[in-house]
Amino acid sequence: MSQLTEEQTAPPKRVHRQRSATQWAVAWRRFKRNKSGVAGLAIVIAFVVFAIFGPLFAPYPPRSTESLLQGQAGQPPSWKHPFGTEINGIDVFSDSIWGARNDLWIGVAATAIATLIGLAVGALAGYSRGVIGGILLGIIQFFFVIPTLLLILLFSRVFQVLVYQGFGVNLIVLILGLFGWPGISFVIRGEIFRVRELEFIQAEKALGAGNLRILFRHIVPNVLTPVIVLASLLVAGNILTEVVLFFLGFGPANVATWGELIEEGVQYVSVYPWVALFPGLLVVTLVLGFNLLGDGLADALNPRLRE
Amino acid sequence: MIPVFIGVTLFTFLIGNAAGNPINLIRLAFKGTLPQNVYLQLVAYYHIGENPLIRYLYYLWDLIHFDLGLSITSQRPVASEIGPWVWTTLYLQLSALALALLIGIPIAIYSARHQHSKSDTTITGIAIFGYSTPTFWLGIIFIYIFSFYLRVLPSSGAVSAITPWWGNWTLDRIAHLILPMTVLTYVQLATIIRLLRGNLLEVLKQDYILAAMASGLKERAVIYGHALRNAITPIITIIGLSLGASLAGAPGLETAFSWPGLGYEFTQAALALDIPTVLGITVIISVMVLVANLATDLVYGFLDPRVRVS
Amino acid sequence: MKALEDLLKVEDLRTYFFTEAGVVKAVDGISLDVRKGESHGLVGESGSGKSVTALSVMRIVPKPGKIVGGKISFDGTDLLTLKEDDMRRVRGSKIAMVFQDPISSLDPLYTVGKQLIEAIRANNETVSKEQARDMAISLLSNVEISEPERRFNQYPHELSGGMKQRIAIARALARTPTLLFADEPTTNLDVTIQAQVLNLMKDLKKNFNMTLVLITHDMGIIAEMTSRVTVVYAGQVSESAETHTLFYHPTHPYTEALLKAVPRLDKRKQLQSVGGNIPNLIDPPTGCRFHPRCPYAIQICKEKVPDYEEVETDHFVACHRWKELSLVGVQ
Repeated sequence: MSQLTEEQTAPPKRVHRQRSATQWAVAWRRFKRNKSGVAGLAIVIAFVVFAIFGPLFAPYPPRSTESLLQGQAGQPPSWKHPFGTEINGIDVFSDSIWGARNDLWIGVAATAIATLIGLAVGALAGYSRGVIGGILLGIIQFFFVIPTLLLILLFSRVFQVLVYQGFGVNLIVLILGLFGWPGISFVIRGEIFRVRELEFIQAEKALGAGNLRILFRHIVPNVLTPVIVLASLLVAGNILTEVVLFFLGFGPANVATWGELIEEGVQYVSVYPWVALFPGLLVVTLVLGFNLLGDGLADALNPRLRE
Repeated sequence: MIPVFIGVTLFTFLIGNAAGNPINLIRLAFKGTLPQNVYLQLVAYYHIGENPLIRYLYYLWDLIHFDLGLSITSQRPVASEIGPWVWTTLYLQLSALALALLIGIPIAIYSARHQHSKSDTTITGIAIFGYSTPTFWLGIIFIYIFSFYLRVLPSSGAVSAITPWWGNWTLDRIAHLILPMTVLTYVQLATIIRLLRGNLLEVLKQDYILAAMASGLKERAVIYGHALRNAITPIITIIGLSLGASLAGAPGLETAFSWPGLGYEFTQAALALDIPTVLGITVIISVMVLVANLATDLVYGFLDPRVRVS
Repeated sequence: MKALEDLLKVEDLRTYFFTEAGVVKAVDGISLDVRKGESHGLVGESGSGKSVTALSVMRIVPKPGKIVGGKISFDGTDLLTLKEDDMRRVRGSKIAMVFQDPISSLDPLYTVGKQLIEAIRANNETVSKEQARDMAISLLSNVEISEPERRFNQYPHELSGGMKQRIAIARALARTPTLLFADEPTTNLDVTIQAQVLNLMKDLKKNFNMTLVLITHDMGIIAEMTSRVTVVYAGQVSESAETHTLFYHPTHPYTEALLKAVPRLDKRKQLQSVGGNIPNLIDPPTGCRFHPRCPYAIQICKEKVPDYEEVETDHFVACHRWKELSLVGVQ
């Protein structure tokens, strides 16, 4: 309870946002008013449910070429194969369901890794002045300069040839995670700089509050806002990267993802256009969902952008 | 700038030596059977046997002399191959960017001035689709419609091999450019509208806009002279930075259209494990991005007096 | 004293902001008359609708705001029915405005000179660039800026707050307007600079033969600068009188509260403690809008909107109980 009183007695600073329970409630109310944000959330939830339970109802196992034997390869959409089949007889509907699970996993798990690294590096870079801060900033800038997407392709390829092929989608998760953090850490670093200059933090410091206390009571709550927004947008970005990676033929073999289906569809787009069409629409919808969600969260959590 | 340059070159050097030395990686492309004469050439070129620091310095020395080694697939110097690829990529990216700015600026202004109106909602909706769509996938759909179905535009490459489209080599280039440029323009348009609209909404609330109106200026003069200039200046930075990224950022789109630019060629080289080409492209792109960043800083300083170096 | 003729007459002005959260009735029936040559104070807390009134008169209310009712006549012209093109010719040349925050009222990307020349030449292209330059420099000396030639080429961020406000004033004076709105012109300045800027405005008003409407929340500034005052509360006028009368014989409890909040000994300080909060203008209180904060409120105040009644010549009040209350003014 004593902490609560301290929070109440903190001088009200316009730029500093104390995230108390009521403020989360305010943010949620504001989010609910934002139709496109709510639509984004609904899309994301629908896909999560779809990814968890959909495979229970998938007509075929992932990558199953069963239909080929029944002479059903390259069939246009029908009741039996709602999204049609591709040249090897893989049921596009079935693989799209399995793909939802893999794509969401790639998007979310890679974002989780990137966010953790981003938080750690960003906090360290924001907190340490001098040599360490300089080196960390240099590393972040280095990642802004190198062609990240191309290197993701290269690492995926070289790793599979040189080291090990059996990681499946988790290899992609790892690589995307390892390349995805610099944006987050850059923002966190800036936010820490901003918050720690605020007068009352200086005052708390003068009163002898420890760095850890300041970190957890003031900086973490403030940094959380941009992190949540960035993470949501990063999931969208990671899914798009996954799709390109598989389309270009750098994905691990024999996993059902939307990108893999699109790759197969593109090769025969003139004869079997549906193979690339349906998984592509799913990609657009899910990515749209995360982008709308991210924008909605940004609006709801950032009072500075609104009146 | 220089530390980052050293970082980048050190990074590509380390990738090249990930398997001990570059020859071990190159060997992969030959599936294990490296001819003896090629092997000896490579040993000499990469100074195998020297310690890693010396080899790195040799690498830097070669780089400064624009020597990026021999491409494994084409057996030609990587440096002379990259030149046309850079040009092909820039030609696509810059024409799309110019078009996107031309269309995007008036749309963003309209959207910001009619915030929450139906047309604003439609515009932002179309924009958010733009950055939620994989470019190459949109490209494939365009190819299917315009090349396979309607047969009005070419589906691949930057130029025809034998007979030109529309009977003329200039028109032929334009015909090849239309589809990929349209896709890319749409995506860039989405980004420009989103950023510019957001900035304009902020700027339009500023007192200097009201003050300019209060001095009796025409609304057009206020919007274009004050609001737009203030809103677009920070976007120049983002465009400058993303210009670097867009050098490499479209491997999907370039591959969909077999557009012989850096992204497409990198993809081909990486699939063939043509390590000298892959690392050559990486270094070249990084250096170009560094230069673009520097140029952006200078332009920004010119546009915004507040950041001018005193 | 001989009655001066009206220069600006605002009747029952309503300007609403149509936001997502609801309709904010920022100005909800404000009436105002400003006489030729006078210094008129418009006083109230922030958010009471003072600034929006000025923006409405100039017809530059930013979106999503809209003038939804009322009448504004200026020197015999009905401003609300003017075509936008004609209204634009009024702005800057007949009516001008100085804004509260000098930091944000000058465009950071243009030099002082450019912004002055722009204001001088707005709708007035017969003035050549060279003439405009000379006029700009003399304007800078008019607002008592040292080294005008040098300031002319500087950017806003290179100048102090007081200097920026002088330049903003110079810009407003560029085409010698008849009526000048000054919206909290000194609020964001240091105390010593405040006095200088106020003195400058007094001098300029005399030299340029202007009518001044001074918008402020500071009763000290009102006392020093104005001859008549209109007090606004929550988008409506609560009391209007000659400054002297208002200070010594207030008839509205809100005026009394404002006067109480002024520190003595002629020191100016920000208005602080009128108890309670400014009401929500989306769903304003019923009856008299001041009743939730009014120490004298009775049942009728909650139920009925008070009429705007004449206390004596030139003194009006909107309060149910003005006759029975004996309020304390400045002693």
